[in-house]
Amino acid sequence: MQQGTGASETEVTWEDQQNINKFGRLNNRFHELEDEIKFAKEAIDNLEDASNELILTDEEVVRFQIGEVFAHVPKEEVETRIEEMKEVSSNNLEKLEEEKESVVAQMAELKKVLYGKFKDSINLEED
Amino acid sequence: MAAAAAASSSSTASPKTTTERRGIPGAEFVEDVEIYLSQTGLDVNSALAFLQERLQQYKLVEMKLLAQQRDLQAKIPDIEKCLDVVATLQAKKGTGEALIADFEVSEGIYSRARIEDNDSVCLWLGANVMLEYSCEEATSLLRKNLENAKASLEVLIADLQFLRDQVTITQVTIARVYNWDVHQRRIRQTSTSSTAKDSIT
Repeated sequence: MQQGTGASETEVTWEDQQNINKFGRLNNRFHELEDEIKFAKEAIDNLEDASNELILTDEEVVRFQIGEVFAHVPKEEVETRIEEMKEVSSNNLEKLEEEKESVVAQMAELKKVLYGKFKDSINLEED
Repeated sequence: MAAAAAASSSSTASPKTTTERRGIPGAEFVEDVEIYLSQTGLDVNSALAFLQERLQQYKLVEMKLLAQQRDLQAKIPDIEKCLDVVATLQAKKGTGEALIADFEVSEGIYSRARIEDNDSVCLWLGANVMLEYSCEEATSLLRKNLENAKASLEVLIADLQFLRDQVTITQVTIARVYNWDVHQRRIRQTSTSSTAKDSIT
């Protein structure tokens, strides 16, 4: 994202600078959130695959990864654990999506303000 | 333009910069380019060179902080995994059965371990030191480490945000100084061409 001011005579006030700074912070947070959302979705997919495999398997004891080792855990306990993990992951994903929407809305507001004052002198788009 | 400059400098009385934060120098916000250049006594090229150098310094610090952030972000899930293991061992304690686990002996080679009921675990503290703790002590130590790591990460993120703001301010200042210079050259050019026209006529 470029933030240049063009060759016009518009003065940049401290308030403008703060708005530009805030836009920069929001844009960074937006990209971080996109990455985090990608990871969260992958985690949920993996848990889905795991629970599907569980249904298919006929073993009574499943090797479940705890920390760095694979503990022998009875199937029912594994099912419960996976359900809990899925719950946590989808709550997390929901929170991330909400934060992303709020960030996007704030960025749109700031764009209106900054383009309103600086028009062509400022570029707030992704490069 | 002088009236506009006076108006803009009187309107914002709030503090415009934090001088520095944990060793990172703050970027001074420039209200008016002309006043800034006369205050610092620099000509345009020197001012631009100074600001560019500042920008490079900021970039270096940013890379260092980003590396630290990556390390911390990797450490936190590790500590959480350790807490998980200790919790599992504690849960098994009551039942009296041993925990059977497959662990990595070497890359790609796994072996089976039978972990009997016991009250203590050994924690790797770093620097080739490993200490034995009771399960409760281990849990509280790990929790404390997790808290510290999360707190450090928050401070680091705040530092990065401050740094990025200073980078943005510096970039905007560079653009404004450059544009002011272009504007000045244009004014000088039109005035010399008009005096030339006058002398011809």
